[in-house]
Amino acid sequence: MTTLLVAKQILLTIYSKYEVYITPLLKFFLALITLCLINSRLGYMESIDRITVVLIVALMCSFMPMNFIVLMGAVFTLLHLYTFSMECAAVIGAGFLLLFLLYLRFSPKDTVVVVLLPLCFLLRIPYVIPISMGLIGAPASAVSVACGVIVYYMIHYVTQNATVIAAMADEETAAKFKFIIDGLIQNREMVVTIAAFSITVIIVYLLRRLSIDYAWTIAMTAGAVVNIMVLLVGDLIFDINQPLIGVILGTIVSFLLVLILQFFVFYVDYSRTEKVQFEDDEYYYYVKAVPKVTVAKPEKKVKQISSARSNTGRISRPPHHS
Amino acid sequence: MLNEERVVLMTKMASYEAHDGKRCLAIGSYFRSDYIGWQVLKSIISATIAFVVVFAMYIFYDFEIFMTEIYKMDLLEFAKNVLFLYLGTVGAYALISYVVYTVRYSRASKSLRTYYMNLHKLSSMYKSEKNG
Repeated sequence: MTTLLVAKQILLTIYSKYEVYITPLLKFFLALITLCLINSRLGYMESIDRITVVLIVALMCSFMPMNFIVLMGAVFTLLHLYTFSMECAAVIGAGFLLLFLLYLRFSPKDTVVVVLLPLCFLLRIPYVIPISMGLIGAPASAVSVACGVIVYYMIHYVTQNATVIAAMADEETAAKFKFIIDGLIQNREMVVTIAAFSITVIIVYLLRRLSIDYAWTIAMTAGAVVNIMVLLVGDLIFDINQPLIGVILGTIVSFLLVLILQFFVFYVDYSRTEKVQFEDDEYYYYVKAVPKVTVAKPEKKVKQISSARSNTGRISRPPHHS
Repeated sequence: MLNEERVVLMTKMASYEAHDGKRCLAIGSYFRSDYIGWQVLKSIISATIAFVVVFAMYIFYDFEIFMTEIYKMDLLEFAKNVLFLYLGTVGAYALISYVVYTVRYSRASKSLRTYYMNLHKLSSMYKSEKNG
């Protein structure tokens, strides 16, 4: 454990020292992965389905605010969809616009969840996001997570039904429109996922705020269990046929990833908890102070070898401090 | 001569200015009613655009049926229903925005009060150093 703590300390030091370079680099990679995945899943417009275009846009994203990645993701998605079918682009574009106007305008900080959640869905570990947002966010993060789920299922529905939509004749604009909207509104899997993730965010948030020992671990575990339970109950009620093993394995992997997050953000030593009580003119204070676990970084020791004495074959001792 | 306490305070304040402070200072530059009014107005515009988008989708969803029924329906009644729906949606959204931005303004002013107190402390530190 000490080795891990030392590694954490070293990583944090490196990050704080080179933050100016690391943050743009991370943004660059996030944008690169997002755009590459959009191109691989949709890829209808050849002019933007090129690595040079993706690299240039990712490079732009690296020195722009985080929300620029979201904007570029939306633009790429809509351009691909427009090439595929104008009706698809119109419906998905309207969906994006509604999400932006009605919610994301309120909480620009959480917007990145809308990009991260579809990415995690593709990696089959979407459960990592609601648990993490419950730990580091606020109850309102449930709405951001719901927005992310909606974005994923909108794109997923179009890619799943691409052949059906493509088979419809060009004149059947109204039928295409109806088919896409019906598919999005009646997507019960999306509704169950939104319910499960929202409940998970709120439960994790409520539990981790409790003044109990191991609140974070309890919150994470409860969140993972509740997530599986709600998904399974939803599955039974709406007959969705979600792969059970996938949900359980995905939740376990997500739990392990959130453990890493906890190690970096909230690693404390409950055995050294101190409870103090004092008062001033206006309040009584019941303070519970839990110390963070930290280790000193091992410092390199330099042994000085005195040239005068080394001739005699003796190594000088380091100066003795009293 | 470096004053350690002053350097710590200045670092904290600079960090605040670079992060949360940027947003709070922007909010603090408005009067309360101006800030909340402006944000609610923006929300009303957003809600109006959102309503138009949803209404357009509703019309296009069953465009042929809508076009055949438009001659039979009582247009005045239809327009009245749409207007009530619009007012209800925008009113609810404006109310939520009012609550959200009122809370944000009061939080920002509270945090700015602490910031200005620190600024005052800093200036008195300089004064006492100059005199002493």
